[in-house]
Amino acid sequence: MVEGEMGVRVELPAGLREYAGGKGSFEVRASTLADAIREINAQHAGLAYRLLDDQGRMRRFVLVFVNEDPVAHLPPEDVRLKVGDTVRILPSVAGG
Amino acid sequence: MADAKKGDTVVTVGTRKGLFIFHSKDRKRWKKRGPYFEGVEIRHAILDPAEGKTLYAGVTSEHWGPMVSRSTNLGGRWELGKEGPRFTKESGLTVTRIWQLQQGVDGSLYAGTEPAGLFRSENNGVTWSSVDSLNYMKGRDKWNPGGGGLCLHTILPYPKDVKRMLIGISAAGIFATNDGGDSWRMYGAGIREYGKQKFVDREDVSTCVHKMARDPTDPAIVYQQNHAGVFRRNRGDSRWSLMEKGLPIAKSTGGPFGFPMVAHPHDRGTAYLVPLVGDYNRVTPNGAMAVFRTTNGGKRWDRLSKGLPQKDAWFTVLRDGMRADDGDPAGVYVGTTTGQLYASRNDGDSWSLIADHLPQVQSVEAGTIGGR
Repeated sequence: MVEGEMGVRVELPAGLREYAGGKGSFEVRASTLADAIREINAQHAGLAYRLLDDQGRMRRFVLVFVNEDPVAHLPPEDVRLKVGDTVRILPSVAGG
Repeated sequence: MADAKKGDTVVTVGTRKGLFIFHSKDRKRWKKRGPYFEGVEIRHAILDPAEGKTLYAGVTSEHWGPMVSRSTNLGGRWELGKEGPRFTKESGLTVTRIWQLQQGVDGSLYAGTEPAGLFRSENNGVTWSSVDSLNYMKGRDKWNPGGGGLCLHTILPYPKDVKRMLIGISAAGIFATNDGGDSWRMYGAGIREYGKQKFVDREDVSTCVHKMARDPTDPAIVYQQNHAGVFRRNRGDSRWSLMEKGLPIAKSTGGPFGFPMVAHPHDRGTAYLVPLVGDYNRVTPNGAMAVFRTTNGGKRWDRLSKGLPQKDAWFTVLRDGMRADDGDPAGVYVGTTTGQLYASRNDGDSWSLIADHLPQVQSVEAGTIGGR
């Protein structure tokens, strides 16, 4: 194991768990948010499509926090992760 | 699917909040299934017309993206595709909504999207490929959206000729291919200029097509509800011609305003419309709902209202809110933005309410279990 590339926890909201075999959280090896999404997509194909638009950015109404910091506005490959980080994915409160 | 049998009529109703399925043996008594995909917009859903078994639903989650789901047991179980249609990264575009699903002549499945795009699946919606010749055609940067967004809403394959297809994009116009999508031509000549009694002469002009339908006995005859009027185009015509006699005229556009255009499944020259007041007030005129029918290719339209609400009925019927089944006489189904589903089982002569208080109806489709 390479330091800095493992031990990141990713938490999914209830609305995404049906695409992840019912799982609500994952431990992944990832040094960026893009890595983390690739990792969980490797386990549950299609999850990345749910999160990323056609340009590879986070979808418009998807929120992402690394620990307490909002990062959905950043390119996922630019969001650095380190061991012990928690990535929380949430749907934004929107719509009618 | 135990209570649904071969030959039963199926009506799929896509709404702002889920998919509803109605099925009937005699088109008098209906059973309801759903809602499926609760809380999620279903812009369009179809029953495969050839085999009459597989349902496809365009599922638009605002949060998690648009997908096409499939069921082979009338909604009992839905299989989710892995990915929906996608534009290329270089395009700068992202698919946000599935507007239209259509079975191709060769058994493939087509999807029309917002922003306007045409995509094709050869594995029942599991994966998709872009029809690049249309999606990235020169001039796309000049396409403007209509009120519903820049959407590819009509896909009309040509029966028995896999290379021919007609599509409609609001408000980019009408495009057709005769060579399997290698090239596309626009068909705008003859459409009314907004608010005038003048008509465009050039084919390569963007017009706001709302819906088109092919005549059942001659698919080269196409009927069109446009933002600025109602038109037909015959085999070999060099332009669209008016077919508006008997229809209410909107004072803003200069012609009849509405969204759906439905052709009868068997009878040549028979088609259906639901005119609205106009683009400034998109409701049924005078609070009285009516479907208009022509039986002679648009020479004359007649108002059909028996069984439809004639008082305090102020709603819209969206472009995919009306369809006919394959029956004889034909069943015609109309869904409203206020959640009613009306049905006729006698070519539109009279109507009855199948369902009320549904979420806003986005689309209605009709088919037969076991196929045509």
